Amino acid sequence: MSTRVADGLGSIARLVLGVVFLVAGGLKVTTPEASAKATQAYQVLPHDLAAYVGYALPIVEVILGLLLLLGLFTRVSAIVSSLLLVVFIAGIAQAWARGLTIDCGCFGGGGTVAADETSYLPRILEDVGMLACGLWLSRRPSSHLSLDRALFRAH
Amino acid sequence: MAQKSTPKSARQAKIDAVRKDGGGGVNRIVVGAVVAVVAIIAVVGGVVVAERNQQDRVGTSTTVPAGASGMGQGFVANADVTLQPNAPTLEVYEDFQCPACALFEQVMGGTVADLAKEGKIKLVYHLKTFLDANLRTTHSLTMGNAAMCAADAGKFQAFHDAVYANMPAQEGQGWPTAQVRGFAEGAGITGAALDAWQTCVDERKYGTYVESTEESSSKAGINSTPTVVLDGQKLDFNAVPDPAALKAAVEAATK
Repeated sequence: MSTRVADGLGSIARLVLGVVFLVAGGLKVTTPEASAKATQAYQVLPHDLAAYVGYALPIVEVILGLLLLLGLFTRVSAIVSSLLLVVFIAGIAQAWARGLTIDCGCFGGGGTVAADETSYLPRILEDVGMLACGLWLSRRPSSHLSLDRALFRAH
Repeated sequence: MAQKSTPKSARQAKIDAVRKDGGGGVNRIVVGAVVAVVAIIAVVGGVVVAERNQQDRVGTSTTVPAGASGMGQGFVANADVTLQPNAPTLEVYEDFQCPACALFEQVMGGTVADLAKEGKIKLVYHLKTFLDANLRTTHSLTMGNAAMCAADAGKFQAFHDAVYANMPAQEGQGWPTAQVRGFAEGAGITGAALDAWQTCVDERKYGTYVESTEESSSKAGINSTPTVVLDGQKLDFNAVPDPAALKAAVEAATK
């Protein structure tokens, strides 16, 4: 694969991952209470800690989304995004396995829903797709139209 | 051509020198530090603001209503009734903004109130406020507090029923202040009791308590409303769809 094409794929990966994180974070960042409740509904972390994680997650997602779209510190952003996505996948999978009936709360909402309203597999597949983008960029952060290139001549 | 032969400025020469040996334009460490600091401030600041907003919403009063045995504990609506032997406990988890709760009240409310009055069940309400978070309102908490204020006057059930009989046209719209006062008056709270009710509402006397029942029920995994628990068993509305079935279920739970 030529460098040019690989860099193009890198740009697409940045765009996909960046837009999804920015939208997901942006939809939740104005309703931290709901995000806290959505995080608590996974019943993994201690109740109070889950609330703080719920408050913080949307902000973290917005920051990662912006960095990825700008192509600033792409490798670090991609590694953090990938780790986060692994946690998300594990969180959804354990909820599914334990028979909880919750909305993932990925793009706002969240909490308990009717058993036939859950959508665990589609959410996991989405996250796996995003994880692929994250892993690509972790391994090869080089891409077109990035601040890394413009500012630091890196990648 | 003349341009090209002009000697580079000293500044440009320095920049080029750095680029050659460092391979970078702007200092990476400086930019990285700035981004990291901004990110940390945003995350910590966001968490602190969210936490403070939550506390502002709930208020500082830590009074527990007489009908509840403590923070996080449900409110016993028929404490004044002598229960029949082995009467089971019926626990109702409701959020005042929840349309499905209004539907439940419409279908079952009368029966539940009768069973409570006859002492056939111990009726316990757990007020939830999670819809406030989803709808970005404070109506669930406000109405929960107002209902507990009505309980001070012994009129919880009537106030509670009035709210569910007058749901806003759209979920999240809430109730005008005058209408809420009307619910209290309609419930039979008058004179000095009405003044006390108003003070209680204004002070958010039971704000912390109502939030505590939200918290404890959420900890117990009850995150949807209405949830009705009979004698420790979650009621399945498919199996118990009408008053007759509810009465039968209560009878079966009376051992």
